[in-house]
Amino acid sequence: MEALVGKPVTRVDALDKVSGAAVFGPDVKLVGMLYGKALRSPYAHARIVSINLDAVRKLPGVRAVVTGADMPGVLGGEAVKDMPFLAQGKVRYMGEPVAAVAAEDEATALKAVELIEVVYDELPVAADALAALEKGAPLIHEGLENYARISVIKPVPKSNIISVNEYTKGDIEQGFRESDEVFEDEFRSQTVHHAPLEPHSAVAQVDVSGRILVWGPNDSPHRLRKDLADALHMRLDRVRVVSTYVGGGFGGKGGLKAEPIAIALALKANHRPVKVVFTREEVFQATLVRHATVVRIKTGVKRDGTLMAREVKIVWDTGAYAEKGPTVCSQATAAAAGPYRVPHVHLIGQCVYTNKAVAGAYRGYGTPQLAWACDSQMDIIAKKLGIDPLEMRLRNVLREGDVNPVGHPVHSVGVEDCLKQVAQAIGWQERQHHPRVTEKGRHVGFGIACGAKNTKTPSGSEAALYLSQDGSLTIVTASVEVGQGVRTILAQIACGVLGLPMENVSFSQPDTDSTPFDASTTSSRTTFHMGNAVKFAAEDLKKQLAQLAASLFGCDVNQVVVDGGKAWLAEQAERSLTYPELLQKQYGAGASMTGRGFYYPKSEQGKAFHESPSLFWMYAAHAVQVEVDPKTGRVEVKRLAAAADTGRPINPVNCLQQIEGGAVHAIGTTLMEELIVDNQGRMVNPNFHDYRIPTAMDAPEILASLVEAPHREGPFGAKGMAEIVTTSVPPAIGNAIEDAVGVRIRDLPIRSDKVWRALRESKEK
Amino acid sequence: MKEKSVTLRINGEAHVFNHVSVRKTLVQLIRDDAGLMGTKEGCGEGDCGTCTVLLNGQPVNSCLVLATEADGKEVLTVEGLSREWELHPLQQAFVEEGAVQCGFCIPGMLLAAKALIDENPTPTEAEIRAAIAGNLCRCTGYVRIVQAIQSAVVSMSRPR
Repeated sequence: MEALVGKPVTRVDALDKVSGAAVFGPDVKLVGMLYGKALRSPYAHARIVSINLDAVRKLPGVRAVVTGADMPGVLGGEAVKDMPFLAQGKVRYMGEPVAAVAAEDEATALKAVELIEVVYDELPVAADALAALEKGAPLIHEGLENYARISVIKPVPKSNIISVNEYTKGDIEQGFRESDEVFEDEFRSQTVHHAPLEPHSAVAQVDVSGRILVWGPNDSPHRLRKDLADALHMRLDRVRVVSTYVGGGFGGKGGLKAEPIAIALALKANHRPVKVVFTREEVFQATLVRHATVVRIKTGVKRDGTLMAREVKIVWDTGAYAEKGPTVCSQATAAAAGPYRVPHVHLIGQCVYTNKAVAGAYRGYGTPQLAWACDSQMDIIAKKLGIDPLEMRLRNVLREGDVNPVGHPVHSVGVEDCLKQVAQAIGWQERQHHPRVTEKGRHVGFGIACGAKNTKTPSGSEAALYLSQDGSLTIVTASVEVGQGVRTILAQIACGVLGLPMENVSFSQPDTDSTPFDASTTSSRTTFHMGNAVKFAAEDLKKQLAQLAASLFGCDVNQVVVDGGKAWLAEQAERSLTYPELLQKQYGAGASMTGRGFYYPKSEQGKAFHESPSLFWMYAAHAVQVEVDPKTGRVEVKRLAAAADTGRPINPVNCLQQIEGGAVHAIGTTLMEELIVDNQGRMVNPNFHDYRIPTAMDAPEILASLVEAPHREGPFGAKGMAEIVTTSVPPAIGNAIEDAVGVRIRDLPIRSDKVWRALRESKEK
Repeated sequence: MKEKSVTLRINGEAHVFNHVSVRKTLVQLIRDDAGLMGTKEGCGEGDCGTCTVLLNGQPVNSCLVLATEADGKEVLTVEGLSREWELHPLQQAFVEEGAVQCGFCIPGMLLAAKALIDENPTPTEAEIRAAIAGNLCRCTGYVRIVQAIQSAVVSMSRPR
């Protein structure tokens, strides 16, 4: 019955996508649609003195004009309700929407926003997190402690700290006392952008009953519905969200992005739909970024390399609004000590508002920035102690049943095998014999690293399966196809259980009116959570089919076997009835059968959002071979080996796609990418020619492999993996550079000029 | 605002558009006026390549071409690659090799690859990578896209 599970089935969404038929957010067109455009703040922090709308209202073709003053008391945000749909009273980052216009066509809307006159009174700017923590720093949100928020968020009144999260295990001071050596290091990371190729967009409409309808590439329709309903003080059923295909998300297509602007306009557009598509500049400035971080890591070890104590202090630069920043802080801080056994642990994360683009979920949910610190320091320790970097890790990595740094026993732990596989693939043992300088005078180095990531816990998913009278199946879920291949995975699970061919399956569009609740298509949770829900739904259908067959055969349900699209009486397989025959015999006039599945993990500590320890952990390792040009400092990754622990993979090719794509994505964020913000909070490079992501010419040879450490609660043993594929790339590259030229870079990205400068300084010493 | 009429062939079909603003781009004409939504616009600045179409057989960023410049010319978009239900060998290879993830870059990528193979039926891996270097992809790491193009090259070189 599991014949399809584990097979490299061809992706079911591929045909839509190669033919150009797939509908993404910017492709949505409705009858009578208007085009919306936002006027954005040129300042990072300023009081809005006045807004003059006289000229814009007179422009022919303008149908709606809106400012923050039209929406008093409307504040959105999943974790903290702090973000107005349009700025109210003041602006907190450059690019924040201040007013918006809907017009008959895009050209008119563009012209119209230029006619809006806003007078600002500039305020002092907190342009990075350390500045925002200083005494006397400008307060970005006065009264932040009064915002409505979820329980794990702990704001500090009269500061810019929106949350502090702390984890302790053992006795950290005792741990340092019992150590032979103590290492203290600081590592920093930069602001980077998800850079999906599809820009953010939304179409919103208010129907004649006042119901709000939203179409767009949002990764989590039910979460968006709740966020909107809460902000607008409406009932959940009064908001409908439909998600299209998402043209690349990586965490950046959730929450309130283009939606608030489209809705603010739709509320004034006389029931006409309003479409808002962001320009690439708007995508960079006003959607979401990855947190810049300052990580101070202090580790105590025995002479043999055994980790004794680890203290990690993290400052998360969360930008102007909370969004998912505080949950990144609470969740990722728990992963800060890495995939290691450490008896004494103290982890503390501070999530800090700044006058910058909003930071939040980004593939890896904070763990790449933490692995950058943790696994770079592992090499510093290994070098000082004279231990091979691979051996240093193997002596300390978590294994099945170990207690992790936040005090929880771990299950399904493939990190040791990930390390061994990438070492094998890159030629770790043989590297001593590899020439250390190429003919062109470039220095060769090898680096290895590993990482761990948790998933938000608890969270729920529900699925429905409609079995039609002809035996075809519709999979009805709110899981969004963001590029990860979710439809294929869910179809393999459903068809695997029911014994149906994949060709007999169709998929609903995620729609809060018709697809049951799902927490989100995030946190690498869908295969595990929705996979379970679909599995339960398929088993529910099988049970109903068995009962139907039993009544038709006139026997006990336990005597019926249901598999391979048929039901029969045990030991009389020749007298089987197909699913359509069963339905036809009982319901000759037509019927369908609905299977229902709901998965909500048993929680150990709390039942509320983010209150429980991670349901599962993901692990991966990376090893790289780099070449460094000592004359220019230029780093080239020549080969990259990557292995991820997938539990039992439902579709190995889908997993390999994630590993390969994640590796190149992370090479970009390690070596090339940085959103540069000046000391006045102005973003300098919000476009693809100044913010360079890897092209086909930048991608090295990727040696990808899977490690299977089945999870007892995952569907068929599967678990998530799509984020862990980036986590340990930055330290692997940093370690390889140190191996090649002997300099340790401590702030991302590792640009040529930093390597060149470090080389020059090391020569001067 | 100045307007002109534009006559062109898209995927072999004749189109006449009257009152085309001289400021309208070719990608806007293809999507908004011809209603062919397979061509995507990722940046509007010629950086990402998602809007790549073939104009008289040459790959162009259709966001950098004015609609009026296409007057009298032949445009090929992703919708014109397949015939009826039969996929172009490149499309078939992209499906089979697992080259598709989110899919937003794929229409432009397919046309960049077609332009390469039309010009050079037996490209090396380096030539393939250079030919698609103007088409960004954030999902795949290009691994399977390059493999798919290589696979299509093989299948297209076979006598039919």
